[in-house]
Amino acid sequence: MTVDPRALAELLEESQDLQADALRPTRAALDELVDAAHSSGPEDVTSNQRFHEEHRRELRSSFAGAALLGAAGGAALVGVLASAAGASSSKDIQVLQTAASIENLAVATYKTALTLPYIGGATANGVVTKFATVTMGQHVQHADAFNSAVRSLGGKAQTKPDPAFVPVVNKAVKSLTGASAATGTLAVVGLALELENIAAETYSKDTSLVAKTSSKELLASVMGIEAQHVAVLLAVQALLNANAPQLISLSEPATVEALPAAAGSVGFPNAFYKTSSAAPASQGAVK
Amino acid sequence: MSKRNDKAQFAGTESELNAMTTELDELNNDVAVPSMWAGVSRMIDGMRGDIAGRSTSRRSFLMGAGAAVAGGATLIAVGSTPGLAAAATRAESRLHVADTAMFPPAGYTGDLAVAAVAASLENLAVFAYNAGLMAATAGKLGTVPPAVATFATTAKSQHTQHAEAWNAVLKAHGKKAITATNPTLTPTVQAAFAKVTDVTGLAQLALTLESTAAATYQAETSKLKSTAAIALSASIEPVEMQHIAILYYVMGMYPGSQTSAGSPLAFSSTAAAA
Repeated sequence: MTVDPRALAELLEESQDLQADALRPTRAALDELVDAAHSSGPEDVTSNQRFHEEHRRELRSSFAGAALLGAAGGAALVGVLASAAGASSSKDIQVLQTAASIENLAVATYKTALTLPYIGGATANGVVTKFATVTMGQHVQHADAFNSAVRSLGGKAQTKPDPAFVPVVNKAVKSLTGASAATGTLAVVGLALELENIAAETYSKDTSLVAKTSSKELLASVMGIEAQHVAVLLAVQALLNANAPQLISLSEPATVEALPAAAGSVGFPNAFYKTSSAAPASQGAVK
Repeated sequence: MSKRNDKAQFAGTESELNAMTTELDELNNDVAVPSMWAGVSRMIDGMRGDIAGRSTSRRSFLMGAGAAVAGGATLIAVGSTPGLAAAATRAESRLHVADTAMFPPAGYTGDLAVAAVAASLENLAVFAYNAGLMAATAGKLGTVPPAVATFATTAKSQHTQHAEAWNAVLKAHGKKAITATNPTLTPTVQAAFAKVTDVTGLAQLALTLESTAAATYQAETSKLKSTAAIALSASIEPVEMQHIAILYYVMGMYPGSQTSAGSPLAFSSTAAAA
């Protein structure tokens, strides 16, 4: 299956144009953030430090909850990560910087994945390629939005990936060297799945931690999109595990009819989205 | 996006997928559901400071929630148009005409008003999925792909759990559970369902309902006062969004929120909020 790059480019361009409607509430939220930042008083350093300390303790549980990322020695990073990262910034800034760091890592991961022949090459499944491309673009927009919000609140934009997960992702990517297309695709899907789930769980949890309405609105507008990424990756992973990659296809009713019954529900296993793998709120704060 | 024309048949690995789904269901029942109910319980405790209501112990709430899960609740569609009701089960088709202007009911204010609206939306979703499943069983929708049937059954179950969660909150604060469907949207859904003749039409109706629910939760997440209520809303919105993604997938479309032209969206919108 091949992908028409021109058609894809047109699609992405169209997406950016039509994105304006969906972005309107987000932009309004960002404007609101600016107003709120201007009217707010001095940062409560003690409160911010307490927030940081509380979430520092969550680092271990974060690694424990993440199967793939946790198993790769992430706990060893706790001491490093638990330093003074972002301790002087407000709660909202720390949360939003952490969100940006997760998005940055997701962008880097998809970018790397798309260089692999079985993800972004001519031999790759077209749906997988399109999903990875579109999703990477969405994470770029998410990072921009979170950093705009950070700057509006007077903080520094987070341009680096989440430090806790970088070595783990690097190790996972390195392990793909020499992998077969089938094995490599499954590994990439598994890694992306875990990253997407951490993002969705983190934003879901953080909506009740942030103070400003605009921060809640921004997190809420992104977490559902990440959850959709999770749903798609779960379905893709299940079909790959079932040796049915030919069913990872769109636009053909015949393919839908051939999908196994379980494919209709494998994408949303829980009635309530969990937060046990959420990243600590200050994990990606700018030091 | 190029299209695949090879009609692929799935054979020999259905059991693997079923096993995987069963594992996920078990995980949900073992971990997610108890965790959710504990969260709802905390929500009730957390809301006490904000909402005047009858004091209810965590223990009695949990007992009530368990009973709700075990027994289920009768749904009542608001309105008198028989289209939707005719396809539903007898227990779920009794009509209860309510005054739209009186919803949420008097005394349901603040976060409890949101809980009432949320429960009514979940009830409507359950009602619609049930009606769709009944119509499919009766052969009124043509051939129904197995994945679509599983989707509808599972989504209905999850919406039932969502309604139970919000109603448990209401009951713990001395309010009656909301067993009616949302009065504003029910006539629209009934009219739309009356026109459904195939699975694609049903999927599109489901998409509208899921989009409304997701947008409503997204909007309310930033308006709710109780931290625990925000957490509950934020735990449901992503699931509704997942329903949307898979609905698009089974409809053969890009599996994610998108514009009417089919362009994927990076940010979900609240435009469809109830």
